Amino acid sequence: MKKRNQRKKRKPIPVPIASMGDIAFLLIIFFLVCSEISRDNSNVQVQLPYSEYVEKNEARIAARVAVDASGEIYLDGYNVTTAKDVEWGVRAILAKTISDDQRHVQFKCDANLPKEQFEPVLKAIAEAGGIIDAVGEKNE
Amino acid sequence: MKRKGREKKRREGDIPTGSFSDIAFLLIIFFLVATTLTKVKTITADLPSGEKSAQTQSEKTPIVNLRGAEVFLNDKKVTLEGLDDRLAALELADKEPGDRVIMLESANGTPYESYFQALATISANDGVVAIVEGEE
Repeated sequence: MKKRNQRKKRKPIPVPIASMGDIAFLLIIFFLVCSEISRDNSNVQVQLPYSEYVEKNEARIAARVAVDASGEIYLDGYNVTTAKDVEWGVRAILAKTISDDQRHVQFKCDANLPKEQFEPVLKAIAEAGGIIDAVGEKNE
Repeated sequence: MKRKGREKKRREGDIPTGSFSDIAFLLIIFFLVATTLTKVKTITADLPSGEKSAQTQSEKTPIVNLRGAEVFLNDKKVTLEGLDDRLAALELADKEPGDRVIMLESANGTPYESYFQALATISANDGVVAIVEGEE
């Protein structure tokens, strides 16, 4: 029995930590390659409208347009003055696209905004050739 | 001179790599925290561009009117569920794209909430939305 105990003490199991750094760097490279830099207008605070038909969007978004509660218009996070700016901006972005799948334009707007303020922006996106992906919440 | 040379040789050392894994894991934590994995929920609406034409405004084309929170289909008041049923009855999915057009007209002051719900209902029934210029 004494001999057995002695043996156990002599053989401590080493945890292999030498490759931990390599694993960590591989993970970083994975994240860098897979992640898409967010161009979402997350700083634009809007109350989203509800509908039972909204679904998780799988399409690749070419441009993001947002209209906040005060009627300020944003194209890819940048504040623009008129709907015409949106049309020109979206048109320029979509000029590089070749298929319909690449024409998706995300549209985020405050639920209480009147028609006079959001409809020109919707028309501008349509005129520029964008397929509108209007953001909303699921009505359960 | 001899002494100086000796000192230089002594200063040669290894690059400290012990903390590399710590730095790497800190970077991973940063990426995990900063990355958003949530996908937004949307409705997809393909609005045809171009000017109004006589063809798109034919009498056959259904027209949805939004007056505040009220919805009208061909000048008859309907609920959103009613609009859904009426559009489903049209079986737009089986029609040519040109025959799927639904005109959408809204009065001034119509909130985006109503507009969005009408747009969602039309799109869910495979309708192509044509926005009509409202009367000023």
